[in-house]
Amino acid sequence: MADDQKPKRPGAEGYGAGWTALSYLIAGIGIWTFLGWLAARWLDIPIGIGVMVGMVLGAGGAIYLIVKRLGT
Amino acid sequence: MGGLQVLAKGDLPWPPSVEEFDFPGLGGQPYISKITVLLWFGVAVVILFFLVAYRRPRIVPTRMQWVAEAVYGFARDGARDMMGAENGQRFAPYLACLFCFVLVTNVWGIIPFVQISPNSHIAFPAFLAVMSWLTFLYLGVRKHGFLGYLKMISVPPGTPWYMLGLVAPIEFFSTALVRPVTLSVRLFANMFAGHLILAVFTIGGFALLGSSVVFLRPVSLLAWLLAIILTLFEFVIAALQAYVFLLLTTFYFSESLADGH
Repeated sequence: MADDQKPKRPGAEGYGAGWTALSYLIAGIGIWTFLGWLAARWLDIPIGIGVMVGMVLGAGGAIYLIVKRLGT
Repeated sequence: MGGLQVLAKGDLPWPPSVEEFDFPGLGGQPYISKITVLLWFGVAVVILFFLVAYRRPRIVPTRMQWVAEAVYGFARDGARDMMGAENGQRFAPYLACLFCFVLVTNVWGIIPFVQISPNSHIAFPAFLAVMSWLTFLYLGVRKHGFLGYLKMISVPPGTPWYMLGLVAPIEFFSTALVRPVTLSVRLFANMFAGHLILAVFTIGGFALLGSSVVFLRPVSLLAWLLAIILTLFEFVIAALQAYVFLLLTTFYFSESLADGH
């Protein structure tokens, strides 16, 4: 059924890609901020340092995932 | 003109605030508000539409049947494209109902004298998103097993092992927890902002009309003209957001049903 295939919807794909990127950034920064906070409490170092390192790590990981998933 | 004068005197709250979205219970009781009634009507419209359209199906469809088939076919074909004919057929009724319900409740926002969408209260989009969320998690766990699905949503394909510790929590968090949030907030925020924009231009027209600066009074006509144009624009947003909700739900289902990566 080769003629049964519909053309893809390019607009919808771009929209989805944008939301994928945004949710990676939210998720990345969110989860690693939390993990950094936990680690800082556990290791008894200033909370700010843990949170800051977590945020940077999370943003980095999110960008890595975005490039991996959406980059050509 | 007397009514306009009264309105222009400033009985309307200006600027509009979140209180625009609070509706008291009808007739003094606390349970049923305008939003509740609109919700019931929305459900009734969808049910009645499909019942009436399919009451006596013909080979050569009547106009209403044609519309119903077009809407259903739209949801079904989108699902087929993404998850194959069999699964697409399986989820088509749910997806078509979801699309129609969101569309009708969105369009309440621009019907004259109704002009509020239940979806501008986060509870309704949130519940719809939770239904989609639980369904795609369930489908994924049933298809791949609990651990298999956990691996599938946590480990991006082709990631070197030393990156896994960093990206696996992100991948898991974004699939399992952020998705329902973005799904519901997107619909809610669009409807909320749309209502607020229309309120600003409409009530703003009255505020300008009652202005003490005479030159500002004719500008109210411009404000109302813009309110009308933006109402048409809101219709596009209503349809688009219903489509996006359908599209993303279909996409999430299809991802859970896919054969690994």
